Amino acid sequence: MSTLAERLVPLAGRPSLRERVRHRDTPLARVDWVLLAAAITLCGLGAVLVASATRGVPGSRSSISYLERDLLNVGIGLLLGTAAALIGGARLRRWTPAVYVIACGVLVLVLGPMGATINGSHSWIVVGGGFQLQPAEIAKVALVLGFALVLGEWRATPDGPGTAEVLLVLGLAAVPIGLVLLQPDLGTVLVLAFTVIGVLTVSGAPRRWVVLLLLGGVLAVLGVVHFHLLKDYQVKRFTAFVHPEADPRGFGYNATQARLTVASGGVFGTGLFHGSQTSGRFVPEQQTDFIFTVAGEELGFVGSAVILGLLGVVLWRGLRIAARAPDPYGALVAAGVVSWFAFQAFQNIGMTVGIMPITGLPLPFLSYGGSAMFANLVAVGLLENVALSTPRR
Amino acid sequence: MKPANLTSDYRTRFGLRLGILRFGVIGLLLALLGQLWYLQVARGESYQRAAVQNHVRDVVVPAVRGRILDAAGRPLVDNRTALRITVDRIALSREPDRGRTVLARLAQVLKVPAADLRRQITLCGKGVRPPCWNGSPNQPIPVTKNADPALLLAIEERSESFPGVAAEVGTERAYPRPAGALAAHLLGYVAGISGPELDRLPADQRVIRRNDVVGRAGLELSYDRVLAGRSGVRQVAVDARGAVTATVGENPPVPGDDLLTSLDARAQSVLEHALGKGIAGARAHGDPAKTAAGVVLNVRTGHVVAMASYPAYRPEVFTGGVSPEDYRAVTATTAGVPLLNRAVQGEYSPGSAFKPISVSGVVKEGTANFSDMYSCPSGVQVGNRVFHNFEGTSLGRLNLHKALVKSCDTVFYQFANSDWYADERRIRQRQQPVEAVQQMARAYGLGRDTGIDLPAESAGLIETRASKLARWKSFVRDNACAGAKRRPKSDPIHKLDAENCTEGWKFRAGDQANFDIGQGTVLVTPLQLATAYAALVNGGRLISPRIATAVRDPAGTVVRRIEAPVRGRLPISATLRNNIVSALYDVPRAGTAAGAFAGFPLDRVHVGGKTGTAQAGLSPLHDTSWFASFAGPPGQPAQFVAVVTVPKGGQGARAAAPAVRAVWEGLYGIGQPAAIPGLLSGGQR
Repeated sequence: MSTLAERLVPLAGRPSLRERVRHRDTPLARVDWVLLAAAITLCGLGAVLVASATRGVPGSRSSISYLERDLLNVGIGLLLGTAAALIGGARLRRWTPAVYVIACGVLVLVLGPMGATINGSHSWIVVGGGFQLQPAEIAKVALVLGFALVLGEWRATPDGPGTAEVLLVLGLAAVPIGLVLLQPDLGTVLVLAFTVIGVLTVSGAPRRWVVLLLLGGVLAVLGVVHFHLLKDYQVKRFTAFVHPEADPRGFGYNATQARLTVASGGVFGTGLFHGSQTSGRFVPEQQTDFIFTVAGEELGFVGSAVILGLLGVVLWRGLRIAARAPDPYGALVAAGVVSWFAFQAFQNIGMTVGIMPITGLPLPFLSYGGSAMFANLVAVGLLENVALSTPRR
Repeated sequence: MKPANLTSDYRTRFGLRLGILRFGVIGLLLALLGQLWYLQVARGESYQRAAVQNHVRDVVVPAVRGRILDAAGRPLVDNRTALRITVDRIALSREPDRGRTVLARLAQVLKVPAADLRRQITLCGKGVRPPCWNGSPNQPIPVTKNADPALLLAIEERSESFPGVAAEVGTERAYPRPAGALAAHLLGYVAGISGPELDRLPADQRVIRRNDVVGRAGLELSYDRVLAGRSGVRQVAVDARGAVTATVGENPPVPGDDLLTSLDARAQSVLEHALGKGIAGARAHGDPAKTAAGVVLNVRTGHVVAMASYPAYRPEVFTGGVSPEDYRAVTATTAGVPLLNRAVQGEYSPGSAFKPISVSGVVKEGTANFSDMYSCPSGVQVGNRVFHNFEGTSLGRLNLHKALVKSCDTVFYQFANSDWYADERRIRQRQQPVEAVQQMARAYGLGRDTGIDLPAESAGLIETRASKLARWKSFVRDNACAGAKRRPKSDPIHKLDAENCTEGWKFRAGDQANFDIGQGTVLVTPLQLATAYAALVNGGRLISPRIATAVRDPAGTVVRRIEAPVRGRLPISATLRNNIVSALYDVPRAGTAAGAFAGFPLDRVHVGGKTGTAQAGLSPLHDTSWFASFAGPPGQPAQFVAVVTVPKGGQGARAAAPAVRAVWEGLYGIGQPAAIPGLLSGGQR
């Protein structure tokens, strides 16, 4: 039994109660609220932009509007993300191989009779009830988890991953990348490849591997274009990217209209729901792959910069989580998600403003689309999962 | 990354590599931000202009063309709404196969070859021959004439199968044919403006007038400016499929003015039927007549009451663009070139219908006196040839009154001979020849345009020494000399060619003799002869005839009256005019037209006139039949002149005179309701 004074001794010289409450290491305090707020704001903005892009267009598959479906997707995505955030580290590691196998499995399935071709890509599985699943989105999550597991903990060498880990990662990546290539969904292949390169770079893999991969990636892209391994429409999309005016009504049409729509917004934009390019539906697939053109036209440079800023906040928080992660696994999960988001956002916005070729890729959080939204919010959940496992300093 | 069991080297490396990723991320974001700045801020304005062009289109709204009305206000040319199926090139170009399937489907519905549709929507340009689209590439292109609404319904029911296919309500010309009057040659037709015509327009008008229709013939052409109005422009916002979403601005079209004319639909119908009758009459006599023309003039105002040319055509064939088959049909020589308006474009020798002019000429010159007696032998020596009377009859001695009534030729041969020698004498004395009858012919308005408000009028020919020399120099000599060289000496034409080669410029006594009886080198149009006769009976005023009387704006206000201007006076005394006219009044009673007017109530309608039978070749089957006539209530000046000619119709008394009689019967209501009521009760129009 100790006296009150004795009990008070340990408190002497320690931070005040207020200080301690503020710095108390509880799960709620570990949550990265900034990341969450940025992601949810982006989702909300996306819903508004989807509503604008689809105004006057009845939902094609049901009576529910695009806006309502988008909000539903966000809701489901937040639930899945919460689950991904709360799942225990051990369980997550245990489940990773299963997730990987399932992802590869559905990628095989999509090539079979269950798959549906939309816009030249055989990349959807029709689930029924008007729902479709894009297996490539699952593959992104699976690869991020798989890479982290292999590079961070497979043999747990104190000196970081070696050649064996690198080769295993490349092998693991090759299966889904190959399957996605068969669809063909070039955008996703690029994102997956960039994620591989990003994670391998961060993982501390030998420098020669990093240099080799970067070189190989560049050469592969050049070679693919040169040897016409791409489908006809993809080559045309690439050449249209270089000379969009050469064929303004053909494959350059998307590129030209997208660039025109973004640019016509000027500094402040036409105002939400007032874009004439948008209301005239000059940009195809505007609520999905070209959602950024709505922001460009109706919100102008200011609104576009805000969106870029919010995406930047998500990436910054992801990098911060990676830097503070308690173990290589968590750090690499975060780095993988950052690589994925960064490249996908760059590719998507880049194609609407004419610095990247046109490929079918959604803009994280903003584009309309279930699978992508779920995957993005699960990825945010994974970032929070790592944050939750990081003790407060 | 903190765990202590990792080497510090690994941790450092991890931190560095994370730095690389951080820089990469920042780089990507900055690249996007930079490009956004470039597009939206640096070049935003030019892109905004481009975006406006992208979704705002100028749609030309055509003006409703004015109508053409007859004297009683009955529309001869009207407008009707036409439903046309259109194809939007831009919408088609956005189809995956550039619209090939859509066009094929449409071709099936319209029952036309898909290739035709494709041609119709191809833009006209270098090496692209019609049918092609001359208008704006941004505008839906009509691919049908007036379409069946059921057809349109069939397309709209499956509109998702027909992207870019729509219907457009426009107006097109309609011909109500009051009283059955066709008047195709007078009204003319319209057609889309051509590329060269557009090129001649000022640059600022080219776009707006791209889809204009312009008058191509007849009154539609003469009064195109009045009728056309001015097209408007509507700026519309369109969506990516080219569907109009809103009207941004509008510069409304100005409708064209109505054209009021002096034509009387019922009189026109009477004349058109009379021509048919004239041809039927000629054919009943074995003459191969296929064509005819006629004019009815109001002698007081100089306005045209009716004008017709046979064969005619249905003006509808030109509505919405003439098909190649139809065009061939209306220009076929075997069918008599229906497109030709013979009343103003046909040139024929008038024959004896020319004699009132000859009489005027010889009396004015003093070669003859109207009431002096002259012999009318069966033949007269002119130059080195004997010229005979028609059918070789001798009528003994007669004055000019009787010479006109009975149409004696030899009297005129003698005058011609005498005039010719007088002129030759003057030439030898280095004076100008007088050529009195030629001069008089010109004073009657022959050999030059009447100035009527119809396009492409023929001037006819009044041969003089000077004109014969000029023609010889320009082409007769070359043709004749070449012919003389080519033909064998046995060929009878060889002699003619050889003579014309060296002496074809000579105006011989025989030329003057033929001239004075309206043969050979006198060529007139029916309208010219009508204005000449009108001058005889209206106090000597030579009037440039007009069809239009007024221009009326869409609100109903007459904005312009159109008078037929007097362009000359006959240089003869009133006495001579009256003498000639009174002689011509005797022609239907006791002269060459007495047979044709047998039974006609000349006491109710006072009719005068002159027959003409002009040789137009070696065979009498090719004779041109004429009757130039005037009529009015007894004891009053004549109200109208009617001239009918039936080429290859034989004698004037046989084909043309009965046709003119039918005109007078119709106009004045002899044995039928009068086309123009009240003419005989003193109420002159």
